[in-house]
Amino acid sequence: MRREVLLLIARQFWANAFKSKAIYFLLGLTAVLLLYAAYSGFRYHEQNHFREGHQEMARESWESNPDKHPHRMAHFGTFAFRLKHPLSTFDFGIESFTGNAVFLEAHKQNTTNFSEASFSTSLIRFGELSMAMILQIILPLMIFFIGYAAIVADRENGTLKILLTQGTSWKEILYGKALGLAGISLLFYLPFVLIAVLMLALEEHATADDWTRLMVILITYLLYLVILSMITIVVSASSSTSKNALVKLLGLWLLLIVVLPRTAQSVGTYLYPTPTKLEFRSAIEEEVIQFGDSHDPDDPYYQSIKDSVLQVYNVQSTEELPFNYSGFQMFTGEKISAEIYKRHQGMLMQQYQKQNQLTKWLAVANPYLGIKSLSMSLCGTDLASYISFQLQAEDYRYQLAQTMNELQMKYIKANVASSEGQVNVVDAKEWKAFPDFSYQYPTVGQAIQNDALATASVLFWLLLCIGMMNHWSDKASAL
Amino acid sequence: MYQLLLQQFLRTKTCQLGLALVLILGILSIITGKQFLLDQEKIASQVAAKQGEHIERNLELHGDDLPLLLYYLKFSLVSQPYPLAGLSIGQKDVNPSVQRVTILTLEGQKYDADLVNPTKLLYGNLDLSFIIVYLFPLLIIAFTYNLFSEEAESGTWKMVNTMAKSTIQFLLAKLIVRFLLLASVLLLLLVAGVLIMGISINGIFLLFTISSILYLIFWFVLCFWIVCLRRNSNFNALTLLSFWLILVILLPAFINNYLTNAYPIPEALSTMIKQRDGYHKKWDSEKRATMVKFYEDYPQLKHHGFPPEEGFDWPWYYAMQHLGDLESREESNAMQEKIRLREEMSRLCARFIPSLHIQLAHNDMAGTGLLQHMNFLALTTDFHKKTRLYFYPKIFGNESPESVNWQDFQPNQIQLRGEISWFTVLMPLLLSILLFSGLSAMQIRKDLRA
Repeated sequence: MRREVLLLIARQFWANAFKSKAIYFLLGLTAVLLLYAAYSGFRYHEQNHFREGHQEMARESWESNPDKHPHRMAHFGTFAFRLKHPLSTFDFGIESFTGNAVFLEAHKQNTTNFSEASFSTSLIRFGELSMAMILQIILPLMIFFIGYAAIVADRENGTLKILLTQGTSWKEILYGKALGLAGISLLFYLPFVLIAVLMLALEEHATADDWTRLMVILITYLLYLVILSMITIVVSASSSTSKNALVKLLGLWLLLIVVLPRTAQSVGTYLYPTPTKLEFRSAIEEEVIQFGDSHDPDDPYYQSIKDSVLQVYNVQSTEELPFNYSGFQMFTGEKISAEIYKRHQGMLMQQYQKQNQLTKWLAVANPYLGIKSLSMSLCGTDLASYISFQLQAEDYRYQLAQTMNELQMKYIKANVASSEGQVNVVDAKEWKAFPDFSYQYPTVGQAIQNDALATASVLFWLLLCIGMMNHWSDKASAL
Repeated sequence: MYQLLLQQFLRTKTCQLGLALVLILGILSIITGKQFLLDQEKIASQVAAKQGEHIERNLELHGDDLPLLLYYLKFSLVSQPYPLAGLSIGQKDVNPSVQRVTILTLEGQKYDADLVNPTKLLYGNLDLSFIIVYLFPLLIIAFTYNLFSEEAESGTWKMVNTMAKSTIQFLLAKLIVRFLLLASVLLLLLVAGVLIMGISINGIFLLFTISSILYLIFWFVLCFWIVCLRRNSNFNALTLLSFWLILVILLPAFINNYLTNAYPIPEALSTMIKQRDGYHKKWDSEKRATMVKFYEDYPQLKHHGFPPEEGFDWPWYYAMQHLGDLESREESNAMQEKIRLREEMSRLCARFIPSLHIQLAHNDMAGTGLLQHMNFLALTTDFHKKTRLYFYPKIFGNESPESVNWQDFQPNQIQLRGEISWFTVLMPLLLSILLFSGLSAMQIRKDLRA
């Protein structure tokens, strides 16, 4: 392939595209959509202000407690509010369907509530307009539209024959046109890059990790657009008429973007059933009960623990122990129930991942699914990020409960049973000493690792497209 | 002529592919709907089965202490879907259909989310409503975009022109054939739904069917208008797909983003904190003050008097719990108000956009929309109140669990549907049909004059 010929063809394709008024319309439309999506993303992210505000409100309320029995504080509990990742402005992912706030207290793992979807009409199920959505769904359609006739129109009007007789190779024509088309899609893409970079630059909390994420995102989308450009050229080269090329590309778009994803997810969900909430809770409850009821003083399991503790300390009754025994019993109970819960929760999440796996595997056959999945992971808006929030909230809850149990063991007299009133209390400074909840986003490395398949699928498609281009360079005909 | 046109059309690849696609997905959608109904039934039967067991187990443990027993006991309210929900699942998969509540603070219980895979929610359900709203229009576009241009481009138009009495009638006949074909496919799927899901054929089902057919007609008329412009196939395909993109993807997303940002609901988070503080902080305040506030709401219990400030007291405990609800009521009401506002605005916008309108109408008919869930929450509040008021006198009067007939506390089953009027469902569709019929007629007349 000669470089100057390639560039000549690319430039000529570019110039041709700008002869029609349609492209200006498409550019204008993209700009409007982009601005609206960026604004929406910015406003969505502003929800963090509410959440930070409420996190502070919850903290103030926690710290304002007077001297109290620690078990009262364990039930007073606190809240964890899920903060949106700075890059969630770019791709909303599953965020509208995940809970945003959870009450954290002793003995009880509450559900994460108040997803945006729970406040919404079924309008939300039509999808949301984000920058990622435009790049994933709308831009492909525009690329198909601009490029569908690239080769086939030249064949229809005979220019192709002239080009070939003048010594241009098929390869040069195909790659030249693909380059021209990719160039145009780059023109559409550039404003997205600028706005995404600008938005992250204006975000005060942006870290180096966020910038790495953004770089990977921007490169991935670039590859996606190159892949789409090549697909367009290959379809154009392999079609007999421009109408056929257009119909094929539109059909492809519908199949890959509208029909397949929802179908795949439905089938995945069907194949891996999950327990109902009642089943899930009962299974945990039954397992916990098998150990024993930590609130019941006569429970046989806890009775045996008690006997061994008494033996170790060589005393006759719990009242002679150097610590508050009921605090110790709850400490043990919390440990057991938290472990059981964690295991069940883990299994449930694994089942969700399995439900999603079919869709993830289909990325091999559908580049849209690959980019969708990868983009969500990189923007911290995928299932793995949500699971990480839930795990951190649960860890914090556990720490809170156990810290209160330890305080009870340490400061409450051995013979005290009731937690009521101002008599058996711990100093209020202990509440301040227990740190506030602060959510840590997973790192970019974890995100890519979680989505290795999607990363691979984007690269696979790039190679596949190059393969197809070369194949058609040998096979295509001028007539 | 119709028969010939039909035979001719059935032989095309577009027709065969399109029909195959919609039939396969249609069957999948009915399986999805059936599975959804089965899951809902399973949930309801589990709740029913567990309820007795749950009460018995707790009676065994705390059978001598009614207030302690009521600390643990959960009472269930189940919102059973109509079988029609299998055709239009709506928001029913986002929001739980079971409320299991104790008589403690309700605000801390009633928003508890269900266990669902959020990724699944993101991709959405493949229910028949999706097929109708998204896929049928695409088939209509694929079947009609070259209604005229295929004849022009293959050179048969001149023949039609000389042979047919009226070219418009010829085009209309082609259109009607395609409409009848797709309408039959839709009816076929609906009948399959009726048989498999046990949907009863009543006024609501009739309205569901008629509104769906009208929605198809809307798309046919829209396509016919573009066809009447007599441009080439490529232009038609692109223009019609743009219409689809705007009506089914862009506008809904546009409006949704707007509503989300225009009506954020931080009140939900405030409610959460307020109800906790409203109850919990009472542990540190004067018992008398708590009781005074409680008795303001329930003066019928006032004769039970005030507990001593020292020591634990059950009536006081339940009074504290009630104050959790009381002191978060303002935020809770503000939250509900905003949700209703979102709901109203959605409906208002939907009136002008047939795709949105039909989706919301389907959910209303199936009882699976946001409004029905809000009603469910309101009923939960009533149910909670009724249950509390039944037990309060027994707690305050220090009665034993034996004074209660526990058999009466089976799960309450309810079925919810929105207020549906034929007029509001059909009118927007009829008007949009009228609009595009008018545009087509104008175009045809212009052509005839030229």
